[in-house]
Amino acid sequence: MSAPLVLAVPSKGRLQAEAQTLFARAGLEISSANGKRSYRGQLAGVAGVEIAYLSAPEIAREIGAGAVHAGITGRDQVEETVPDFAARAKLVLPLGFGRCDVVVAVPEPWVDVETMEDLDDVAAEFRPRHGRRLTVATKYINVTRRFFAGHGIADYRIVESLGATEGAPASGAADLIVDITTTGATLRANGLKVLANGVILPSEAHLVASKTTAWDAAQKRALAAIVAKIRAVA
Amino acid sequence: MTETYEPLRRLLSDAGYVFVEPPVVHPASVFVELAGEDLRRQLYLTSAEDGTELALRPDYTIPVCLQHLATGPAKRRANYAYLGPVFRLRPGESGEARQAGVESLGRTDRVAADADVLKLAFAVSALFGVKRPRVTIGDSALFAALLDELDLNPPWQRRLARAFGDPARLKGFITRANGKAKASAARSELDGATLPQVKAAVEDHFAATGLGAVGGRTAAEIAGRFVEKAALAQGIRPRTASTLSSFLAVKGSPAEAIAALRALAKREKLDLGKALDRFEKRTTAFAAHGIDLDRLTFAADFGRRLDYYTGFVFEFRKGNAGGDPVIGGGRYDHMTALIPRSSRGTTSPAAVPAVGFAVWLDRFGGTS
Repeated sequence: MSAPLVLAVPSKGRLQAEAQTLFARAGLEISSANGKRSYRGQLAGVAGVEIAYLSAPEIAREIGAGAVHAGITGRDQVEETVPDFAARAKLVLPLGFGRCDVVVAVPEPWVDVETMEDLDDVAAEFRPRHGRRLTVATKYINVTRRFFAGHGIADYRIVESLGATEGAPASGAADLIVDITTTGATLRANGLKVLANGVILPSEAHLVASKTTAWDAAQKRALAAIVAKIRAVA
Repeated sequence: MTETYEPLRRLLSDAGYVFVEPPVVHPASVFVELAGEDLRRQLYLTSAEDGTELALRPDYTIPVCLQHLATGPAKRRANYAYLGPVFRLRPGESGEARQAGVESLGRTDRVAADADVLKLAFAVSALFGVKRPRVTIGDSALFAALLDELDLNPPWQRRLARAFGDPARLKGFITRANGKAKASAARSELDGATLPQVKAAVEDHFAATGLGAVGGRTAAEIAGRFVEKAALAQGIRPRTASTLSSFLAVKGSPAEAIAALRALAKREKLDLGKALDRFEKRTTAFAAHGIDLDRLTFAADFGRRLDYYTGFVFEFRKGNAGGDPVIGGGRYDHMTALIPRSSRGTTSPAAVPAVGFAVWLDRFGGTS
C-alpha cells in the first residue's frame, strides 16, 4: 500500500472554519485523529489521505518545501512565503472564500499621489528632504519588494509589521503600508487610500499542490478525487 | 579555499594601498540606507540581542568607508586595499564570494586619481591572465550636464536623472513622456487651485484623518508636488526627447565618443563644456598613464543606479564573452555624505572624493 497523500489544512481562525464547512459540504468530513488537540486528522470520502493541521503561512512554506503534498492556504501566503513560487507550487483550485486584495495604501492627505509612478517620485525625493528613506510597513515583505522593483522603486525601506499594519502611518511607525483589504473600510477608517495601480494581487483561499514533492499514482488519484468533489459543490 | 592571492596582494601593496580588514558584521541599516531595499533582498541578516538588524557585508566599499570615518578626519588622503569574503543571497549560487579591491579616498586631483585606479585595474586583470579585457566606461556627469542644458521641467529632469543607469527604464520614460500633453488628466477637485489653497486643503485632510505628519511628508511638501504635477503632465517636447535618445545612443572609443558628443552639442546648441572637458582631460590622462584607449568603450547610457556614484564608472569583462563583469569600479564622491549619522561617528558629514574598484576573484577562474 502506498503512503497517504498529506493534505495540510488551517488549524485555526476563519480560514479553518470555512475550509471545514466547504469540505463537509463536498462530503469530505475532516476529523481529528484523537480529540481536538491532535495535529493529525483523517478525511472521510476519499481513501488514502492524511490531514496535517498547520497555520496558513506554515502550509504555504511546507508546500514549497515539499513536506506536504497539498494544502489549503491563501494565494497571498504562497506568493509571500514560497521562494520561486511558480516553480514550487500550483494553485489547483480557488475555493471561493478568504478573498482579499494585497494593496499599496498611502495617507489620504497625500493628494499628489494617485499612482505608483507618483510614489516613485515621492520616494526618490524623500531622503534628500528628510534624511531617511521612505518607510513601508508590511508583513508582505517579498511581495512588496517584487512589486516595487517592478515599478522601478528602490528608494524606500520596509518596516516589518506583525499586526495592525493599517495603524502604522498614524503612529509614525511608517509612511505608507502594503496590506490586505476586503472592502477598504479599515483602510478608510485609518485615513488611507489605495493607489490606482496599487493592487498587487487579488487573493483567495486555494487548494494548492506542491511541485517539489514526489507524487505516486495513488496520491495523484486522491487529489483528483478531492478536487472533483469540491468542484461538484462549488 | 586556500588560495592566498599573494601576487595580487603584492601588486596592490606596491601601488601604495594599505590592506585593511573591516568587520564582517554591520548594522543592516547602513547598507539599506545607502543602497536601498533592493540590496536588502541580497543581505544575509541576523539580529543582535536588542533586536538591531545585523548584516554580513555585501561588499567592502561601505565597510572600508565606515572604518575610514571612524579612525580620523574624513577628508584625509588614504589608499585602502582589501581581500576577503563578501556575502550576498543569490538564487542558485553560493552566497559567499571572494572580493579584492581598492578604495582611494581624499584625493582632490580627481582626473589623475581616476587614471591611477583604472591603470591598476588593468594590472590586476593582466595578473589574472586577461591581457585584453573588454572595458566599458561611463560618466554620469555628462548626462547630468545634458539634463541641465535641455528644456525640461524640474520633475521630468529629476525622473530622468534618477533612471540613469537603467537604459530600459530611461527609454520607457522618454517614450512615454514624449509630447504627452493630455495623457494624465488629473481629476481632482483641487485642479487649478493655488499653492496656498492646496496646502490648506491638505492640512484639512490631515486634521480630518487624524494623521499628523509624524516626521513624514508635510502639507507644504505635498501641496508643492501637487502643483508641480501639472508640469509632469506636459511631458517632454519631441525635439528634447530625440536629443536625449541621440545622446544615450552614443557609444564607441573615447575619441569617437568625444567627437559624437561635440557634434550633438553643436547641432542642438548645448553647452556640455565642463563635463565634456573633464571627460577629455581624463581620457588624455589615461593615455599618459599608458592605458590602451582601444580597450575602452564609452557608452553614454552606462552608469550605476546608486546615488553615491557621481561620475566616472567602469566595468571589465573577460575578452568578448558576455556575462558578469570581473572588475567593477568608479567614482563615488557622495558616499560618505550619505552614510547615516548614527553610523558615521563624530566626523562631519563631508563629501569625500573617492574612487575605487572591486574584483570578483571567483569570476576570474584561474589563479594569480
